[in-house]
Amino acid sequence: MTISRRWLPRTVAGLFALALLYPFTGLLARIGPWQWDETVRRPALSSVRVSVLLTGLAMAIIVLIGTPVAAYIARSKPGERLFWQAVLLLPILLPPLALGILLTLAFGPHGTVGASLERLGIILTNTPAAFVTTQVYVGMGYYVLGAVAAFDAVPTMLQKQAALLGVPPWRVFLRVTLPLSRLGLAVALSIAWVRAIGEFGAVVVTAYYPSGMPVQLWVNLESFGLPAVMPLLVVFLAASLPLPWLVHVLAQRRRHA
Amino acid sequence: MLKVKIIKKRREMTVRVALQLEAGSSLALFGASGTGKSTVLACIAGIEDPDEGAVQWGGLQLFPPALPLHRRPIGYLTQEPGLFPHLTVSENIRFGVAGNHAAHGDDEQERWLATLRDRLQLVPLWHAPAARISGGQARRVSLARMMARKPPLVLLDEPFAGLDRQLVRELIDDLLLWQKSLGFTMIAVDHQAEVLQRLCPQEAMVLEAGEVVQHGSWDELYRAPATPLLRSLLAPL
Repeated sequence: MTISRRWLPRTVAGLFALALLYPFTGLLARIGPWQWDETVRRPALSSVRVSVLLTGLAMAIIVLIGTPVAAYIARSKPGERLFWQAVLLLPILLPPLALGILLTLAFGPHGTVGASLERLGIILTNTPAAFVTTQVYVGMGYYVLGAVAAFDAVPTMLQKQAALLGVPPWRVFLRVTLPLSRLGLAVALSIAWVRAIGEFGAVVVTAYYPSGMPVQLWVNLESFGLPAVMPLLVVFLAASLPLPWLVHVLAQRRRHA
Repeated sequence: MLKVKIIKKRREMTVRVALQLEAGSSLALFGASGTGKSTVLACIAGIEDPDEGAVQWGGLQLFPPALPLHRRPIGYLTQEPGLFPHLTVSENIRFGVAGNHAAHGDDEQERWLATLRDRLQLVPLWHAPAARISGGQARRVSLARMMARKPPLVLLDEPFAGLDRQLVRELIDDLLLWQKSLGFTMIAVDHQAEVLQRLCPQEAMVLEAGEVVQHGSWDELYRAPATPLLRSLLAPL
């Protein structure tokens, strides 16, 4: 009886996984030998470096700014929360290409902030700074919305009990709220990472250079065709999957420790 | 001295209570379930803010304006132990004292923690994760955690509900012993008269539908209960 009960959901879950992974069979498509010579390899590896390092920097900025903002929103009243949710949804609701255009207009040489920054020597088009800025805009909403949900899941009474033990709010946050919400925060961070590192539409407008992996994929497709895309796709998966997966593993391990 | 005068509007009733309590004494807040007893304690603790009124502890104004929770010299024990599940039993108990540099490493503090540990039979649990201990054990740990800071004002909101009589007797004896030695002021809430009589034998206040209907000694309550409901609550089973 027990076996048949587990058999059915396992089969359904298996079919779900198969359907989700089905597009990856495209990697086995007969497109001729994959191209991984020097002309492809050098820019490909450079794009991996750009994507991983600059997206990592963007994630650090997102966590540093987004975590306290999420903690603030989690404690705000329902009306104010709705306002914040709208603010956070706006950048992630936009088609990425439109976000890229708006970012270029705002932070480019003709935007108010962009022009001021250029006078200070900070150029936010086609520079590493432009790449990071775009990644921050792309990922911030996902992280903060996820982090608010994670903080909401921590019982308010536990935090009040902690405060009544004489512990000031910032220490309650560090010693109770943060540890109890770490799994939700890990999920939020990994979604932001996945979203940002795979971003093409916005980045292609704001930071064609330095080329990250998605832009390089596009360049390879245009210049050499599918044989030069497939190896980069494998490299992309190998480079971008471990970090969010590791974050999940660590968060779950600590939860069950 | 604790001075409380609060009005707290609830959907089903308005809680109106005024009380004064000498330092070192104890008061039982008695009444049927849902009469506003817990609301009174929550307003004194600062878990909730009263709609009107004031709460003073000695020279310290607790409300208004609402004094931040971490500055209140209050120990608050509820029916839910509220242990931090990601910490061990000892980390839970040290939670309010570990960050206190004056107390950290202090011999007297360590002796007091050892007293709590031994008296509440926590030795075998000391390094256990708080998430993996039983309900009765969790109540003992939460009592130890509250007492670790030696709070001058102790608020007990039905902390013994659902526990077996032997454990309740032991915990009450411990509390009375510590009240005698530390001299804290105590307000206890329960809907069981026998628990409150043992814990706060001198004085009781009775609430019905958010209003105080009687305030005096237990003898007075038994001799001349102010309402039929109170008479019924005090009657033997």
